[in-house]
Amino acid sequence: MAGYEVPRKFLTTVVGSYPKIPPAMELIKKRRSGELSEEEFRKLIKGPISEAVKDQIEAGIDIISDGEQSREDMVVYFAERVQGYRPGDWVRIFDNVYFRKPIIIGELKWTREMIVEDWIYATSISMGRPVKGIITGPYTMMEWSFDLKYGDRRELIIELAKIIRREIDELVARGARYIQVDEPALSTRPWREEAELLKEALDVIFKGLDAKRIVHICYGRLEKIIPYILDYPVDQFDLELKNSNFRLLPYLKEYGYDKELGYGVVDVHSLQIETVEEIKGYIDMLMKMDFIGPEKVYVDPDCGLKRLPRSVAKAKMRNLAEAAKLAREEW
Amino acid sequence: MKIWGMVLGGFPRSRYARYALRDRERGVIPFKDDVEAIDRASVQVIGAQLVAGLPVVVDGMIDWHDIFRPFVDAWRNVTVDGLLRYFDNNFFYRIPVFTGEPDPREYVTPRRVLRFKETADPATLKVVLPGPVSFAFMSKNNSGLSNEELAEKIAYILRDEAKKAIEAGASLVQVDEPFLADIDATKDHARLAAELADKIVEGIEDKAVVTVYFNVPEPSVFEELLNTKARYVMVDVVDAPGRAEKLIRGTGFGSHTPVIGAVDARRIIDDKPSFVEKFLKMVDSGVDEAVVTTSTWLDLIPFRYALRKVYVLGRIVEELAEKNGYEAYTIWR
Repeated sequence: MAGYEVPRKFLTTVVGSYPKIPPAMELIKKRRSGELSEEEFRKLIKGPISEAVKDQIEAGIDIISDGEQSREDMVVYFAERVQGYRPGDWVRIFDNVYFRKPIIIGELKWTREMIVEDWIYATSISMGRPVKGIITGPYTMMEWSFDLKYGDRRELIIELAKIIRREIDELVARGARYIQVDEPALSTRPWREEAELLKEALDVIFKGLDAKRIVHICYGRLEKIIPYILDYPVDQFDLELKNSNFRLLPYLKEYGYDKELGYGVVDVHSLQIETVEEIKGYIDMLMKMDFIGPEKVYVDPDCGLKRLPRSVAKAKMRNLAEAAKLAREEW
Repeated sequence: MKIWGMVLGGFPRSRYARYALRDRERGVIPFKDDVEAIDRASVQVIGAQLVAGLPVVVDGMIDWHDIFRPFVDAWRNVTVDGLLRYFDNNFFYRIPVFTGEPDPREYVTPRRVLRFKETADPATLKVVLPGPVSFAFMSKNNSGLSNEELAEKIAYILRDEAKKAIEAGASLVQVDEPFLADIDATKDHARLAAELADKIVEGIEDKAVVTVYFNVPEPSVFEELLNTKARYVMVDVVDAPGRAEKLIRGTGFGSHTPVIGAVDARRIIDDKPSFVEKFLKMVDSGVDEAVVTTSTWLDLIPFRYALRKVYVLGRIVEELAEKNGYEAYTIWR
């Protein structure tokens, strides 16, 4: 990328989402209620995106995101834009926090670009830093929607994969070099048949793709699923490790892990800001295990930062970037 | 064979209950307003169960953030920490953190029974308790006790809870052990769960249900659980019907009355009576009573679909009874 040279090792990145910066939520609500057209929304959401991008650059992140400022939620956003979905009712996620679990009522179809415009805008203000193209994966879309149409999970996931591939093709055609598919739902059902189902879908999504292919998986029983996903057609797994106290690392070593690793080192569910020394310690711990080289390690948070206060999210990123800088000198 | 239906556990919140809880958290409304909204939603879900003819109903546990939280709030030496995924759902519970031996300040369920038993009439109320093994093993244990010892302490508190709920008028006490369907659950967990469930329901075994859901337990795990003296044992047959069939045909329910979790509580599509019938037929030659229930709590789907599921459950019981010559036990008969 012109104007910014990414480091050769311990690149820093983010998983994607960032705290909603006012007036992002208000704009999302107005778009949904029809007060704003999609075009007006796209224009106005650039303000929050530019703030999210600025925070990442100031924190020292190498590969950034658009902060997912347009997205009410990782599933609902796409469901609102894919033909065949209709809005759902509120389903609880925790405490008194909900999401509108969408409903598949017809044949699914890609009809328009969904994330390309935000990516183009973020790239235009990234000062040369690569911007990840980030999209919710087919397994998660399937699991976190109600299906009243297909009734057959394999058929449904492949249809979703085709739609996602179409969107990714649009991104890559515009120059995206890093494509991340988010699959937080996979780790909840850590069985071989589920992993194989996603592999089929990922073959559709990534076959012949000329970009860095990343899958993000978090929480749940990652150690159970690892043996079944190592042959996925991806260059990198981006994994949550800090929240689960890095218990996954010995498994990665044992299974001869040889892909790039998105190394989650800050807990996005905790307001406590990990210190530079702590994060550097986590990087040292990985290096001392001696199964992956520093050029294959992408230091990042466990997951999206959206639930944190902005100041905490930014401080976590800053410390993460500082720790990576120190690690580059040592390893 | 006599068959009847019941909802397994909690309901989702109605819009008004959701708003009321939100407003109270923000300090916009006083405590009593939120209680009123919860009560209205509870009456609504009890009403739906009565309309469906269900002879045993739940109050919906509308205000419970998760299965552990009301007990955490009611006990000393336990608090909550961050979020953890609740099995394979896009739902998270706050991890209970035990810092010492749990000690109840108050009981959770008896006052609910007193509050709602007249609303539930002519049905009776069931209370639902978290199983001590699930509670202990899904918590952070900084108590200085082993997980097994902690589970036992929890069981002793829940025994008093169950006794007082029955005294208040509950007709059934349900002990939920979803952890036993987990990939990491072992025979030892199941043995402990059965022993502790027996402590909880001591003297009221005939009014007790032990449940396992979100997956089908391993046969060896389920066999151990069947050592419980609780009259009713529930299994979720929706999540993996093939394995459930194998379990029921292979292990069966022993001397327990089977409770079949065959109405899909995690999807909004209407259930087919033939699916429920298939599982009832697996047990109908060996028992004189079977219960049809939801595969888990109904709080993982939107409110209006939860009400619809209750209607579907009631209809299926009626339809299958008529078709197969079973005796339908409803509030009308």
